[in-house]
Amino acid sequence: MNLPNYFLADLPPEADLSPAMITEACLSLKRNRAHYLAVRDTPSVLRTLVRAGDDWLEADYPYRQFALAEGPAHTGFSAQIIATGLDSFFRQLTGENLEALLAQELGTTQRLDAFSASSSDSRTRRLALGTGPELVGHITAGCVPNAAFMAIVLGLLTRSAQFIKCSRGGSFLPRVFLHSLYGSEPKLGACIEMAEWRGGSAALEQALFAQCEAVTATGTDEAVEAVRRVLPPRVRFAGYGHQVSFGYVTRESLTSWRAKKIVAAAATDVVAWDQLGCLSPHVFYVEDNATGLALQFAEQLADELARREAAEPRGKVSTETAAHIAARRAIYEVRAAHAPDQTRHWCSRDSTAWTVVYEAEPRFALSCLNRFIYVKPVLDVAEALRGADPVRDHTSTVGLAAQEHELEGLAKQFARWGATRLCPLGQMQNPPLTWRHDGRPLMGDLVRWTDWEQ
Amino acid sequence: MTTPSSFTDYSRCLNTFIEHAGRTVPATEEFGALARSLFALQFAAVPDFQRLCVARGVTPGSLADWRDIPAMPTTAFKELELSSLAPAERTTVFHSSGTTEHRPSRHFHNAESLAVYEASLLPWFARHVLPSAGDCKSPARFLCLAPPPTQAPHSSLVHMFAAVSRAFGAPDSRFLATTGADSSWSLDSAAALAALRHAEQCGQPVLLLGTAFMFVHLLDELEQRGLRIVMPAGSRVMETGGYKGRSRELPKAELHALVTARLGVPPESIICEYGMSELSSQAYDRAAGSMSILSPQSSVFSFPPWCRALVVSPETGREVAEGDTGLLRLCDLANVRSVMTIQTEDLAVRRGDGFELLGRAAQTEARGCSLLAA
Repeated sequence: MNLPNYFLADLPPEADLSPAMITEACLSLKRNRAHYLAVRDTPSVLRTLVRAGDDWLEADYPYRQFALAEGPAHTGFSAQIIATGLDSFFRQLTGENLEALLAQELGTTQRLDAFSASSSDSRTRRLALGTGPELVGHITAGCVPNAAFMAIVLGLLTRSAQFIKCSRGGSFLPRVFLHSLYGSEPKLGACIEMAEWRGGSAALEQALFAQCEAVTATGTDEAVEAVRRVLPPRVRFAGYGHQVSFGYVTRESLTSWRAKKIVAAAATDVVAWDQLGCLSPHVFYVEDNATGLALQFAEQLADELARREAAEPRGKVSTETAAHIAARRAIYEVRAAHAPDQTRHWCSRDSTAWTVVYEAEPRFALSCLNRFIYVKPVLDVAEALRGADPVRDHTSTVGLAAQEHELEGLAKQFARWGATRLCPLGQMQNPPLTWRHDGRPLMGDLVRWTDWEQ
Repeated sequence: MTTPSSFTDYSRCLNTFIEHAGRTVPATEEFGALARSLFALQFAAVPDFQRLCVARGVTPGSLADWRDIPAMPTTAFKELELSSLAPAERTTVFHSSGTTEHRPSRHFHNAESLAVYEASLLPWFARHVLPSAGDCKSPARFLCLAPPPTQAPHSSLVHMFAAVSRAFGAPDSRFLATTGADSSWSLDSAAALAALRHAEQCGQPVLLLGTAFMFVHLLDELEQRGLRIVMPAGSRVMETGGYKGRSRELPKAELHALVTARLGVPPESIICEYGMSELSSQAYDRAAGSMSILSPQSSVFSFPPWCRALVVSPETGREVAEGDTGLLRLCDLANVRSVMTIQTEDLAVRRGDGFELLGRAAQTEARGCSLLAA
């Protein structure tokens, strides 16, 4: 299978983009949207999305096969990791989930098609109709495709033309997804454009932003802020900066019959997308009252990561990344030899494929990722939260492993502290479609309401 | 060779090795034998090194090859006192440079280990940086773009500049920078310009020594004043080290082109040095007067025969094939009283017995992330 040159991102890497090309692309997107997308109703868009989800879950779907065959070379992920990641996302793309998403964000599922009333609208004798932006620009970062996938889904739901800008080398999987949409519905595919360029290419970004009614951006805080600064006034903006995540495991859960399952779930979170998403854990805090439970957990996690490496190998990393991992391991090796009660480490042999570092110091540590995970013993939640204080404003997900009766108390503490998503361990990199990204509404930033008072 | 039983004995053996190395190509076995003796001495006398070796399962009894001696990461010099010298014996400590580092590396010395340091430094420096004996009538004046030792007692680079000036420079050699209250270095522009003008007028060759960032400051100064001061024929430039955020960064080729343009020193007389406070030997990328083997943008560094460079795969820790990239690891027989094998965070390409430097791998200090510092 060869992908046709349909999107700007299909051009060879050496092809130079010009601001005029971007403007031209945006103008045709808007024309196509008026003809083909603005006229569609919600049920028909749902049908398209549900079919896409079903197709992508079929083992013999040509686009999926292509993504798995060519993906490792383009993305650095192994085929197994791509397959798991694709399955997690496309399994979510069901009619029920999409309707739940619309109901959550807009009150009812018909709000983009006709004037209608949510229950609170009825009480205040109003009807309201939502309209999506004519053109949304998405600035995405990194190599995990979920942000771009989700942007495409939300853009189609709001019947917006979309221009998706990926980071250099980051477009492959979203691009294959777009080709699959184009393959089944060319007119719909004609309402979405995708391009790759180096972030901060001012002339290209200015040309894009000048045409957009709304812009979303994911990336480092600096990159998101840089986009916000150059937006023309009145362009609506949703920025998602750098986030980190961690896990919390209670003593009770680890001493129960579920212990083995918890270790496997923790490994799943480290292995998913090779730990490169902002929902991937950097640290597992493990309740340990000087019982050695955390140390035991770390050791078992290392065994599990070794097993998983055989079945779902980590992707190839650059020499620089490997050097980064090797240098970190070297210092922990020295610390472990110096004070084994404070630091221990377990590493894959003859590769940088996985690393577990046990560190008694509760202060949060940023992992260098690519399956490099810290395990830290803490007395209780309060100690974990004190340790994680430096990343308090940057914490997305806390993965929890606890007994039923502990959960509510824990959840409240993490929520009040500032975490925006709590989930069972093992699900960290697999949020539901309705996940409120960084604790914010998903469509609220995009949709413009018309209120009609009766 | 009998096995040295003390660091003093060992230092004597090493000195002999260094002296012979100037005349004949030393045998690999000799290097291996010295490495083995030093390993045994350091294993016994540096507890944190011993712990690392035991954790790796490498002991003097089990050591098969000097390449198996566990390498100490440079970062460990920040956390641990890696020295066989008791606190009372330490007369000098060299710190890693860099204003951004909260905790510097520390490398402790005493008179004896400094003597080894100089025995290692001087011949290799002379061979690469000094003019050949034939065209040198009287010693060149050394102009060091660094503060004097009294103002930078913990800089191994300043110690090196002082030692080579003393050994090879004219009596009026001098230091042309000062240390500020925040311990950053600033060029004494007036003194530097006066020294350069003096050289231009009297026609006596000079050797300019400094870090890349100090050369940038000097060149910026010349540019601001619209000056070109041509150094007399036979003058040399020795440039070392990175920038660490202390001046605008220039690609090496551009820096060297500016040196040639503003100071009239031809490219073949500009020598790059590679060294660090954790080591006692230095590498140079050419002998003055010779052209680089590679392009002007990249050059091959060589350590002296008593310090071996290995380029190791970050994945496996084993030596990479010729022409491949990996992390630079150094086994320095002159690192007598600390630890002999150092694992740097520098990426390099293996080129014969030498290496081509690619630069520092990403910042790796375990808690040094900008997100946490913010």
